[in-house]
Amino acid sequence: MRIAVIGASGLVGATLVERLLARPGCSVVPFIHSSGNAWRLARLGIELHQLDLLDAGQVHTRLAGCTHIVNCARGNSEVMLKGLKHLLSASTKAHARKFVHLSSVMVYGDPPHPDSVHEEAPTDPAKGTYGWVKLQQDKLVQSAAREGLPCTVLCPPNISGPHSHYLLQVLSAAMNRSLGLVDEGRGCCSLVDVENLCHAIELSLEHAHGDGNRLFVTDDDRICWADLLRELAPLLPEGSIDRLPRVNASALSASQQTAGVSVGRSIKHLVSSDMRAALRKDPLWAMVDAGLRRSVTWFGSSLENRMRLAIEGPLPVPKPKRSPEINRQLSAHQLRGVVHSNERIKSVLGYQPLHSFAESMAAFRAWYRRHRGMEGEYAGLLAQLA
Amino acid sequence: MTQRFRIALAGTGLITRDSHLPAALASDKVDVVALVDPVRERAAACAQAYGISPRIAASIEEVLGSIDGAVIATPNHLHMPIAVACLEAGVSTLIEKPLASSAAQGEAILAAARKSGATVAAGYSTRFRNNIILLKELLDENYFGRVTRFAHQFGTVGGWAPLSAYNLRRESSGGGVLVVTGTHFLDRMLYFWGYPAQVQLEDDSLGGPEANCSAVFRYGEAEGGLSGIARYSKTFALPGGLVIETESGAVTLADLDESEIVLRPADRPGLRHVIRRDHGGAGQIDPFFLQLEDFVDACTTGRPPRVDGEQALLSLKLIEALYADRRGYDQHWYAGSPQRIPDEEVACESR
Repeated sequence: MRIAVIGASGLVGATLVERLLARPGCSVVPFIHSSGNAWRLARLGIELHQLDLLDAGQVHTRLAGCTHIVNCARGNSEVMLKGLKHLLSASTKAHARKFVHLSSVMVYGDPPHPDSVHEEAPTDPAKGTYGWVKLQQDKLVQSAAREGLPCTVLCPPNISGPHSHYLLQVLSAAMNRSLGLVDEGRGCCSLVDVENLCHAIELSLEHAHGDGNRLFVTDDDRICWADLLRELAPLLPEGSIDRLPRVNASALSASQQTAGVSVGRSIKHLVSSDMRAALRKDPLWAMVDAGLRRSVTWFGSSLENRMRLAIEGPLPVPKPKRSPEINRQLSAHQLRGVVHSNERIKSVLGYQPLHSFAESMAAFRAWYRRHRGMEGEYAGLLAQLA
Repeated sequence: MTQRFRIALAGTGLITRDSHLPAALASDKVDVVALVDPVRERAAACAQAYGISPRIAASIEEVLGSIDGAVIATPNHLHMPIAVACLEAGVSTLIEKPLASSAAQGEAILAAARKSGATVAAGYSTRFRNNIILLKELLDENYFGRVTRFAHQFGTVGGWAPLSAYNLRRESSGGGVLVVTGTHFLDRMLYFWGYPAQVQLEDDSLGGPEANCSAVFRYGEAEGGLSGIARYSKTFALPGGLVIETESGAVTLADLDESEIVLRPADRPGLRHVIRRDHGGAGQIDPFFLQLEDFVDACTTGRPPRVDGEQALLSLKLIEALYADRRGYDQHWYAGSPQRIPDEEVACESR
């Protein structure tokens, strides 16, 4: 088994490479985009291969000889779509025995469709969002599967465990009190431990199943946000969770209505002082702006003031801020309200999570404490740098 | 000066393009007469980006007869051969940190310099920060009273991706994050307090360059039993800076050009004293610019540069002493999980 891991320097890719290296009879080829983020892999003393997914020729050449391909790559939509097309075509040409693709529950929208407890639920992400790009990817993989390339599409929620970006984001927001606790944290929180996800990838690599249909990969535990914060609490100053701002779910839902298109508002932005100041850096626009200002001034200050009032409105009165802005994204996550079921992957691949939620969080804490310098005789001194 | 100092920049990667070359072009004291890179197209693109037309050369030997000094900003393992070629031809060198990828290579550079009498300066640009100069002055004057402990850390999730990716290979960088990130502070630590009596390193290397490390330093009783720690990461974002435990309280300095020294008095918790020199409103001048002008002045007047080869060699010796006494740490984050990554002891043999 010669396994190409695309996007090997990311959270899932690096964890997978570390696990695969210890498997007998398996050769791993880690592909990275840039050397900047590859330190976790480099420390293993293994050969890393740079790959530009947008270069079709390079992808075909470098994937030759790989029997199994795992796609964990991220990037902009061009990389994710065009790059994936190159990967699928190269995998087909190389007669790969398995192509494993990492999708995301975001394909079901944000918030996800209420029926997305199961994989067959309608997918309806807003166009142009990350979920939408991931959905287009799924379609490409499914198309390749129909044409004969054995493919598995794994669909994880947010990822926990050591190195988890998501847990770091939640922790950081809790630390600076920008995390609003929605309805006392009663909302469900769908997570998968990074090793559980890698275990699912490994099962996919071994298994003949390859119809390209999505499989949810989640932990078994049903947890809510209060549970998550309880597990993070030992990493925070005492009483931090109690001091988090409380957010009402219905008020939050109402505030999430996005502003529509408004010609009037756009004109206000165009003639705002900030925009004009930016334009004045160009000599030609500076002359035009000066000319317009002279014309308005010629009519007297009363007209100038009336125009300013009409365009910019009355002068804003800033209110003193006693606490940081609430992180809206993390608040919205608490309203997702769906627990994605892992029944199908259990039945198709025989998946059983390796770690419980509690074990995953304990591993994250151990990793975090070590790297954050919360242990040892200098912990108190280092805390002064926070 | 009637004639400008003619320099070549060897290596046209990111540090040259973003720091050394703009500093040189901003200086009235130097002429950039050549860009040297085995990939000529890269050197030409660098010149084109700044609208200059220096000579483009594939090797330093091609330009030695027409330059007074060279700025060497190549992968670390190439510092020595290029520097020695320059010094043997009587050309002074400003070598990007670290001086070389081993102390033996550093010795070779200094031997060549002694023989020719040319100058060697090392590119520890942070030594040209106003805040570092002021802190050194205050420490020397015992301004804060007795210093008992210090801690320095800097961590980012990835970052700095040199075009050649040399930073990910121990043989070309001379080490891992300790060298790539930590070397700046090690130089400053030597500058503040001298060479420690005992050192110890813990890192996460499993055969390759370490991504995380933690170095502990203990000074002798003569220095009042001072001890400290330096922690670096390429996988974990850390609030970067130095904190010094003193008789007066905790002194902190963040790792930025414009940061201010802050004293939190021990007897008044919650208070912060900001300590800055009155520069009459002038801000920090680009340290790379100051470093280059210091190098040129040293070459033309014969005085030593602010960070000379001997100091840079001491940094290399300290790095080697740390690696010589390194040990791994437990990376099994899941309780009771078996070792999955290659056996540490075996993997470390390849280092």
